[in-house]
Amino acid sequence: MAGLGTGSGMRTKSGGTVRGAAGALSVAAGLLCGGASALLGLCGPFTDVAADAFCPFVLEIFTLGITTGTTPTTYDPSGNVTRLQMAAFLSRTVDSALRRSSPRTIVDRLWTPRGALAGATTVGMNPVFPACDGADVWVPNFNSSTVSRVRGSDSRLLETWTGATGASGAVVAMDGVFVCGFSNPGALFRIRPNQSPGAVTAVATNLGSGSSGLVFDGGRFWTANYNVGSISIVVPGPSLPWTVTTVTTGFSNPIAALYDGANVWVADQTVGKLQRLDAAGAILQTVTIGAFVGIPVFDGVNIWAPTLGGASIQVVRAPSGAVLATLTTDGWPLAAAFDGQRVLVAATGTNQSPPHSVSLWNAADLTPLGTILLDSLRPNVACSDGLNFWVTFRDDPLLLKF
Amino acid sequence: MKSFPKHRRLPAILLALAAAGLGAAEAVVATCGPFTDTAADAFCPFVLEIFYLGITTGTTPTTYSPADNVTRLQMAAFLSRTVDGTLKRRGKRAALRQYWTTQNSTVLGLTTVAQSPRFVRYDGADLWVSCSNGISRVRASDGRPLETWTGAPNAAGVLTAIGKVLIAGGGNPGSLYVIDPSQPAGAATTVASNLGNVAIGIAFDGTRVFTANTSGSVSLVTPGASIPWTVTTVSSGFITPTGAVFDGSNVWITDSDAGTLLKLDPSGTVLQTVTVGSNPNFPVFDGTSLWVPNATGSTVSVVRASNGAVLATLTGNGLALPRAAAFDGQRVLVTDSGSDAVSLWKAADLTPLSTIPTGASTSVYAAASDGVSFWITLSNVNKLARF
Repeated sequence: MAGLGTGSGMRTKSGGTVRGAAGALSVAAGLLCGGASALLGLCGPFTDVAADAFCPFVLEIFTLGITTGTTPTTYDPSGNVTRLQMAAFLSRTVDSALRRSSPRTIVDRLWTPRGALAGATTVGMNPVFPACDGADVWVPNFNSSTVSRVRGSDSRLLETWTGATGASGAVVAMDGVFVCGFSNPGALFRIRPNQSPGAVTAVATNLGSGSSGLVFDGGRFWTANYNVGSISIVVPGPSLPWTVTTVTTGFSNPIAALYDGANVWVADQTVGKLQRLDAAGAILQTVTIGAFVGIPVFDGVNIWAPTLGGASIQVVRAPSGAVLATLTTDGWPLAAAFDGQRVLVAATGTNQSPPHSVSLWNAADLTPLGTILLDSLRPNVACSDGLNFWVTFRDDPLLLKF
Repeated sequence: MKSFPKHRRLPAILLALAAAGLGAAEAVVATCGPFTDTAADAFCPFVLEIFYLGITTGTTPTTYSPADNVTRLQMAAFLSRTVDGTLKRRGKRAALRQYWTTQNSTVLGLTTVAQSPRFVRYDGADLWVSCSNGISRVRASDGRPLETWTGAPNAAGVLTAIGKVLIAGGGNPGSLYVIDPSQPAGAATTVASNLGNVAIGIAFDGTRVFTANTSGSVSLVTPGASIPWTVTTVSSGFITPTGAVFDGSNVWITDSDAGTLLKLDPSGTVLQTVTVGSNPNFPVFDGTSLWVPNATGSTVSVVRASNGAVLATLTGNGLALPRAAAFDGQRVLVTDSGSDAVSLWKAADLTPLSTIPTGASTSVYAAASDGVSFWITLSNVNKLARF
């Protein structure tokens, strides 16, 4: 104990010394123990842990809240760890690491909104799938056949691109922003955001009818085509138009697609299925979710699939397809988005009657964080830039930040 | 299409079916999620979290064996999955839904920059690219070329620090140029022109700027209130210093002709010599290890920064005259100057991910990451490529 008390410093993992921290911890331990110096720890508050090379590790997990010790002054360093105790340690490790490294922590924005925040941005009519590029939010507007560019930092409308007939799904990839057109046949449009705004460029106009959702797999674009029931795979090439392959086998009304790092998944709405596809678009696996599946999101481990009919979210493990949990929601959930820690679910009221809402969930343990009632504002689809969620609205030309 | 399809009112029959399906799912009974041997007590949420995160799968699909002890081998699997899961979720690529890896040169996002781009660095919003006739500034969010700065002949290594952009000038003698990014584009300021000859690599330790000068020295430049800034050049112990990187404690220099990686103290004295492969070039630090591309050796040495141990010497994965490495928080990218390609590894376990061509005769040079994409200089075609 003399070493700590006399300020000779403590070893850190990297071999340096921390003097201030050691002193502070000793004082804190003393206060906790009523100032009885006899109870001051050998290693921070822990009287049963030696101030040796392991001490910095013990102190780190104590400081991070990963352990609280077996008592306020003991850590039981030679005790074994049961699998149950280990679960607590690992769970707290993930929570602490995510919380500390979150952009929301860095900019001191840890609140969860309790109501619709002011500052909605007016975009085009019937805004659909928004896409975040890290700085700006790109919003396809279905009825206006335009794409709005909104600055993430201050919600300012920067640009409006035109000519995107039936603009629906969007993805930021390659050298630009890509938007698919819900038309017959479907289309894929390109925006070069480093150019001045103007008309979008059609890179393919022979996709399956009703291209709704859009995703990129690192080499090709995939669209979920709602009307006839197909998916289209678009291969970028040096000249226009780009090559399109459309697959119909096994699809009814695909509404959205996602890429999990290995496979493309399609949400087939009316039949209520998630379908995992191979590189050619053939169905590898079908996971039954429930009638009227909405817009799913992948959180790095699991797929969150909203089902309107079930008034629930199915959490599905990728790639096994096992349903881990069924989360009951208020109203009919339409779409999910993920910000690195939380999942936002946009929902209409039951039978599409107000109040509509968005709800937030802790993605790590699936616990609900709260529901924000939106009254008559009917949410549509959402995306995240890692700091905020951005939600479009079905009946209003609005983009709102949460 | 007057109404968007997902908002159609549900037919009653479909609602009934969905409800029936939900009821069936709820009939499956478990004490703590799927685990029948785990109580629904205060520990259950922790067990469920690591199950949902994929850190544990249970001892069987319905048991977790909560009272069993954990061996060190099992613990390794748990910790490894914990790190993987945390990194995967925390990466900015997760929030932006960019889980893909670029697969070919056709889908690279290309921005035209000044002539013969070489080194690139990210400042948190923009990329700064050293070229033979200027320094290009490119916005990372959309690849838009914003500015070109002049007045930096022989521009080589780039660094963003102290609110400025610092560029090593590889002339004889070497120079250090500074750009104030808050000012309108113009000529860079030469803050020192008495560095060792051919300054290429550059690093900052919080106090001083270190340049690796291939003529056989390392220069230490101390930023000051007035110009010129003070320069100390050290040549003892160096043959061909090439790359420079700071690991949070020390600056490391690759000595190309010696085939070594050198750990320096704050005054430029060599503290440790690590033998790596043949012709080490421009390394990167991933928070734990240094990745050193050995050009003529066509290998990458992975060196633990805390003790200088060579953890692995990577071969294959398309390595061909590897020149420069970059790190995005999860992956390491190495530019293959001998084959117009880049090689990717998972940084946590050193597994090769893929080799991706950058296009014929593009002369891939160096790379940087903004945490979402890698950015690669294609020297022969005057492009900065988003990967």
